[in-house]
Amino acid sequence: MSTAAPVLRAEGVHKRYGGVHALRGVDLELRAGEIHGLLGENGSGKSTLLRTLAGQLEPDAGRLVLAGAEVRFADPARAMAAGIATVTQETTLVRELSVAENIFLGPRKARRPWGIDWRRTRAQALVLLERLGLELDPSTPVGELRPDQQQMVEIARALSIVARVVILDEPTSSLPDDQVAALFEAVRALRAEGVAVVFVSHRMNEVFELVDRVTVLRDGRVVGGGPIGDFDRASLIHLMIGRELEELDLAASAPRHDGGAVMRVRNFSVPGRVHDVDLAVDPGEIVGLAGLVGSGRSSLLDGLFGLEPTARGRLEVAGRPAAIRDPRSAIRAGLGYVPADRKTRGLVLDMSVQANLLMARSSRSFRLRRPPRGAEERTVAVAVERYRIVTDSAATPVARLSGGNQQKVVLAKWLETDPRMLLLDEPTRGVDVGAKAEIYRTLGRIKDAGVGILLSSSETPELMLLCDRILVMYRGRIAAALNREDATEARIVHYGMGHE
Amino acid sequence: MSDESSSAPRWARRASAMRAGTGRARNAAFRQRFLAVLVLLIAVFIFFSLTQDRFFTSGNIDALLTSGSILWMIAIGLTFVMLTGGFDLSLGSLLALSGIAMGTFMTSWGIPVGWAMAMTVLFGMLVGAVGNGFLIGRVGLPFLVVTLGTLTLYSGLVNLWSKEVTTEVISPTLNGLAFNNALGVPVSVWVMAGVFLIALYVQRSTYFGRDVYAVGGSADAAQLSGVRVSRTLIAVYAIAGGLAGVAGVLQVARIGAASPQVGGTVIFDAAAAVLLGGTSFAGGVGGVGGTAIGVLFLATLQNGLSVSGVADYWQQIISGGILIAVVTLDRLQRGGLASLRLRALGARPRADPAPPT
Repeated sequence: MSTAAPVLRAEGVHKRYGGVHALRGVDLELRAGEIHGLLGENGSGKSTLLRTLAGQLEPDAGRLVLAGAEVRFADPARAMAAGIATVTQETTLVRELSVAENIFLGPRKARRPWGIDWRRTRAQALVLLERLGLELDPSTPVGELRPDQQQMVEIARALSIVARVVILDEPTSSLPDDQVAALFEAVRALRAEGVAVVFVSHRMNEVFELVDRVTVLRDGRVVGGGPIGDFDRASLIHLMIGRELEELDLAASAPRHDGGAVMRVRNFSVPGRVHDVDLAVDPGEIVGLAGLVGSGRSSLLDGLFGLEPTARGRLEVAGRPAAIRDPRSAIRAGLGYVPADRKTRGLVLDMSVQANLLMARSSRSFRLRRPPRGAEERTVAVAVERYRIVTDSAATPVARLSGGNQQKVVLAKWLETDPRMLLLDEPTRGVDVGAKAEIYRTLGRIKDAGVGILLSSSETPELMLLCDRILVMYRGRIAAALNREDATEARIVHYGMGHE
Repeated sequence: MSDESSSAPRWARRASAMRAGTGRARNAAFRQRFLAVLVLLIAVFIFFSLTQDRFFTSGNIDALLTSGSILWMIAIGLTFVMLTGGFDLSLGSLLALSGIAMGTFMTSWGIPVGWAMAMTVLFGMLVGAVGNGFLIGRVGLPFLVVTLGTLTLYSGLVNLWSKEVTTEVISPTLNGLAFNNALGVPVSVWVMAGVFLIALYVQRSTYFGRDVYAVGGSADAAQLSGVRVSRTLIAVYAIAGGLAGVAGVLQVARIGAASPQVGGTVIFDAAAAVLLGGTSFAGGVGGVGGTAIGVLFLATLQNGLSVSGVADYWQQIISGGILIAVVTLDRLQRGGLASLRLRALGARPRADPAPPT
């Protein structure tokens, strides 16, 4: 399939935003019936290139050749009409409408002289869903579907416009492992039909599992590419970040099991979502939470941090009972929480690095007090240095930082409160390889300092790398507890699906 | 979606994904709009000074400033509310209610003027905190619904309490507040300056000021970081209410009576001034500095046009037009022509230069 003719070729594409030269003469060739991995760190020009292909941006120089003819797209609608469909991270579905209505959104539904032919619209939707191997009722409202199913409805919509090129921009970033498999089946079905698929992911194992060829971008240039068989993990990462990734040695510091748990939870429930959870985390221990999306991982963390008013159960922090009613009492008890949704719950994007970094720490100060500017600036300078936060200044709005650096700010915010215990939900979601390593290294240091960590993640390899123990959740209960030595990907998935 | 046109911003629940996209441009945009309106203010000021002999006279400048004093108070209070992503429709009728309260304190209860003024401000604050702040901040009701309700409710109370008649309030102190000078500057201008400086200090140099921006930027993130979101919201509606109380006192002083027929459209002028000053409906960005420029601009325009003998309705047409023009230009500068979405109306896509080959 790699010998097929190119469907879409980008030649010498340049794009500048003000002073930033985002693309510096990029060539990309997509062939019919291939899955093409586009790799690069955040800021490498990946999204700019994708937006150029999708007609959302016009290149400053260079050209696009679609099936042998040069094309120029004035807007996304024209790119779509030419057969280039994009499925982005954020779904663009209308939750209240049915699957069929979403697939044929707008004027593309089957018609009769007097209106819409619903029966035929549904039938056509069913055909598309079957092509993707999906068993869905086309009249189900999209809001009732799981995230992976929604993602696939978007792909079905892409297919419905007779797509020649389908761009999948991090389609798996919000999916747990078991749903990824179904998505991959759908992507392979696209390939089998001769569609050229562009696949973007930060997860290396997915790249190796799925793609046929890769192109690697760095600093707006193509730095390598070719059949996936020519690469291994290390060589790809080397191309992406331009240096070797330091090996992580997190197992070095063992948790201290002698002094009593830093946090102990008994009979903890959030009605309807979490049922009778017992767990304990020792100082310097990283306890992982695995399980499907909806298994109660996030509700458990929200509940522990006082965000679920109906939560019940007993909680001890450092041996003392803690009555946690709201985030303030959780912070007072020595907890910190890095939520999964960094942009709306982790940070106030419009505010500066400084204001975000000190928000939790200063939350107990008298509100009409004047913040001590000098002391604050020194604290922030030290934190920026220590956690390697890349920012122009402490006054820069966090919105301007890359995803990885934003996440470092969230972590630093909690570390500034001197927590005893950190709750982390998907701490490396949407973070590139280099920043991921730095976040892991920071977690290693927190662990060394004797802080307990409860880490929830959809990425099984991440859990296996970082955690001393892994608890697998299923339908709001802890279905299994695995020690580091016993934890395998297969086991975690097995218990996560509810098997005994 | 722009900051201005996005649908009702909610303090709770999820912040829109759109906001994440525009965040990077918004602080810079605020500064730009602030400067643009400042330049516009200076230009309008120079224009009227050159074309109208009666404009740049100390008497007229004093009149210009004092005529804006009521709008000033309401707009500064509204700025705090809008920074949290909310709005307070009821401020105009709360102004009237405070005026009636002031009149009652003095004429019916015989309270000395100084105490009556303090009580009126406190009254406005309490009504703002209990009526709007509690329902919005604590109970979690949508601010448009709550303040639309209190707008009507307070108007009714004004008429009930005043029996729909204007009561004369005679006090040399109040008269002096409205019409005397101190150190060559009208007393009410001193009051404006004092309120402004306190507001600026609270906004920029206290933890509370930071909380206001944090709640407007993302209430979820603020709450998760230990910020007391409810309390912050109650406080901003209390501040707005207190300043409506100050405006009520000034109003009584200016007309020498407690009248039920005041406060009508001041909230719309105040919203225009706040928006001109760069604070958006989406919350989290802006500040009282911009609002001051916005109020001064509107007051100068109004004064200059009436000195020039231009009819009232032209003043309205011009200030409305300028508000829309400023917001449009602002967007153009940030996002280019494409951001205006004119294409949807059938305009042709712009021509592109041929790429070099």
